Amino acid sequence: MNQLCEKAPARRKTISYAKWGYLFIAPFFITYGIFKLYPLFLTFYNSFFENYRSGLKQVGPNFVGLANYIKLFTPDANGTIDILKYAGNTVVLWLGGAIPQIVIALLLAIFFTSYRLRIKGQQFFKTVIYMPNLIMASAFSMLFYTLFSNVGPVNQLLAQMGIIDAPVDFFAIQITVRGLICLMNFLLWFGNTTILLMAGIMGIDQNMFEAANIDGASSTQTFFKVTLPLLTPILVYTIITALIGGLQMFDVPQVLTNGAGTPNRSSMTLIMFLNNYLKTSKNYGMAGAISVIIFIVTGLLSLLVYRSLTQKD
Amino acid sequence: MKKALALLLALVMTLSLAACGASEPAATQAPAADKPATTPAAPAATEAPAEEGKVFNIYAWNEEFKGFFEKYYTVPEGVTVNWIINPSDGNMYQTKLVEALLNQADAPDDEKIDMFLAEADYIMKYADSEYTQDITALGVTDFSNTYPYTVQAASDANGVVKGVSFQCCPSALIYRRSIAKDVLGTDDPAEVQALLNSWDKFNAVAAEAKAKGYYMTSSEAETFRVFSNNGEAPLVDESGKLVLNDAIRAWQAQAKDFTDKGYTLTCDIWSDECTAQMFADGKTMCFFGPAWYFNFCMGNAQDPDKGCYGDWAICEGPAAHFWGGTWLLAATGSDNPTMLADIMDTFINDEEVCSNLIKNEAQFTNNQTVNAKFAEDPTYGNDFLGGQNDVAVFLELAKNIKFENKTIYDQELTEGLQGYWREYCDGEVTEAEAMANYYKYINEMDPEIVTP
Repeated sequence: MNQLCEKAPARRKTISYAKWGYLFIAPFFITYGIFKLYPLFLTFYNSFFENYRSGLKQVGPNFVGLANYIKLFTPDANGTIDILKYAGNTVVLWLGGAIPQIVIALLLAIFFTSYRLRIKGQQFFKTVIYMPNLIMASAFSMLFYTLFSNVGPVNQLLAQMGIIDAPVDFFAIQITVRGLICLMNFLLWFGNTTILLMAGIMGIDQNMFEAANIDGASSTQTFFKVTLPLLTPILVYTIITALIGGLQMFDVPQVLTNGAGTPNRSSMTLIMFLNNYLKTSKNYGMAGAISVIIFIVTGLLSLLVYRSLTQKD
Repeated sequence: MKKALALLLALVMTLSLAACGASEPAATQAPAADKPATTPAAPAATEAPAEEGKVFNIYAWNEEFKGFFEKYYTVPEGVTVNWIINPSDGNMYQTKLVEALLNQADAPDDEKIDMFLAEADYIMKYADSEYTQDITALGVTDFSNTYPYTVQAASDANGVVKGVSFQCCPSALIYRRSIAKDVLGTDDPAEVQALLNSWDKFNAVAAEAKAKGYYMTSSEAETFRVFSNNGEAPLVDESGKLVLNDAIRAWQAQAKDFTDKGYTLTCDIWSDECTAQMFADGKTMCFFGPAWYFNFCMGNAQDPDKGCYGDWAICEGPAAHFWGGTWLLAATGSDNPTMLADIMDTFINDEEVCSNLIKNEAQFTNNQTVNAKFAEDPTYGNDFLGGQNDVAVFLELAKNIKFENKTIYDQELTEGLQGYWREYCDGEVTEAEAMANYYKYINEMDPEIVTP
């Protein structure tokens, strides 16, 4: 009896429900470790080696220190530093798609959730605007490629309407190639953003809007003073995911320009640049160095956006 | 009860993780998926080496040879021919091929490459490697009918023959008869040749064609091979440095000149825009190509409604050259050596098959005897060329083929140069920018080449 009494509290101390919690979250951490963390370190490691394939022969891996990074930041004969140029391209292409994407999505989300407008057939519109996101980006890109090719329907239409005499080579002009890429990215993603922002707005207590209304706030005031501040967490999330997605832009420009980033490599994004090194020559050294730089830039930018949007004044 | 349930759930989760996480344990734990499929085949192949494989794998980049193969080669009973076709665009074919060849030793017999196709621009890379095998050892020994350059191209540095070509590819100037009549006043091949037998004359005629509202060529890269084939040095020298020889520079100058003066359209030679010029309403007078070009690239010209079948003819043009050609290479490790040798022998030595290739497929074969027979046959004529005996023309041109100054990088170097130089021709970039972009492309594709 005595013994039992002594043992019981001792046993109770060891019972910890926390271990079940750890067990349940373990799968994520194990998969994360295997599929994310380990490759991440491997990328850093690889970036210090000369390691590529020349035809059927393998060269390396030979340790070369920072040579790959130095090569990346060495300007060419015309004074262009490649990686900065492609980073610039990526930012331009991203902004061109993301700004209209967020503005239009915000506008649509407000229209759809407004209890004053009460738009009919919401489900229909939501489905329609979300639809482009269901198409594979590469298929969508292929479609645009066909539409805007030199012998494609757009050129034929423009010629028939008498607007142009000779076919316009849309893929040889910087502004049209970039414009098309931005347009496609916008079309692909604005539906998704709208749905996210709508969820955010619907999560705001309706009393807030009513109170604002009773106090005589105009729609603009309600938007800037009530909706926007309360929507910030979702908006931050949207912008950060869009930013990361934007920095990793690949499929649309790759398919549209057949991997060449024409003209003058002005629609070549960072990931396309990375892919160029991996495609034929399996140049893990250079590709690793580019990946590391993209990783650092993405991390810094996410931090910046997060800070600037969550800071309370 | 709750504990038991929790434990069960946790077990399920960790198990499912193990199944999709680490591939090796999963494979040993769950043999259900692919093991039964491979096990019956593997012992059969290892136990009886005399019996050959049941699957014949061929890597190719288009359907051209597949068509001939299916029509003219009788596959031994019980053998399935498996075509693995990847287009050449963006080097995809070679990327996949290299991957498969490097894994060849570990692949199951039925998945091993038995034969693969290679093009003049990169055949050296494979012929001069351990991934292809000596076909004379397999039983292909009679090369007496073939063109010597085709054997040389498929041989390694020591002269060991690794494959054969089913075609010989002297390239000719292919012109639209109706446009030639309008511009030159004649469509007779001999007379047209006399008017176009040098670059000076060619350029002068281009101006006349332009004046009459025609294009001389449909792409600024159309004449690339005519120049590049006559280059005096390989594109990459012994020290691994990129050197654009005078012939390439001459092409670059002509491409820019022709674009500026409106003598040509600017587009890729494989693009729809280029081939659209072969329709009856096309405005282009000259194309360049070997016999394979007629059926493989000039489909639009043969279109029953919009085409212009018979409105074409060929002559040598400003300079003798050859273009491409498809070789069949024997992959090391093939489990179908007899069939492999038989295919190669058929396409170079079987006179009936070679005759059919000329008659039905408008090819110029790699069998000199058969070619000579058709060249001398007064009843033979190619209807697509308005009845002209193209074999006779190619027979003469074939004498000039020199397979020299080639490098293993030619395909990438050629494709890249045409693409980046086009941007300069179009006025999108300066010459320095175009060349800088080209060098970047080379550094990405072939890091060991030293660029200026």
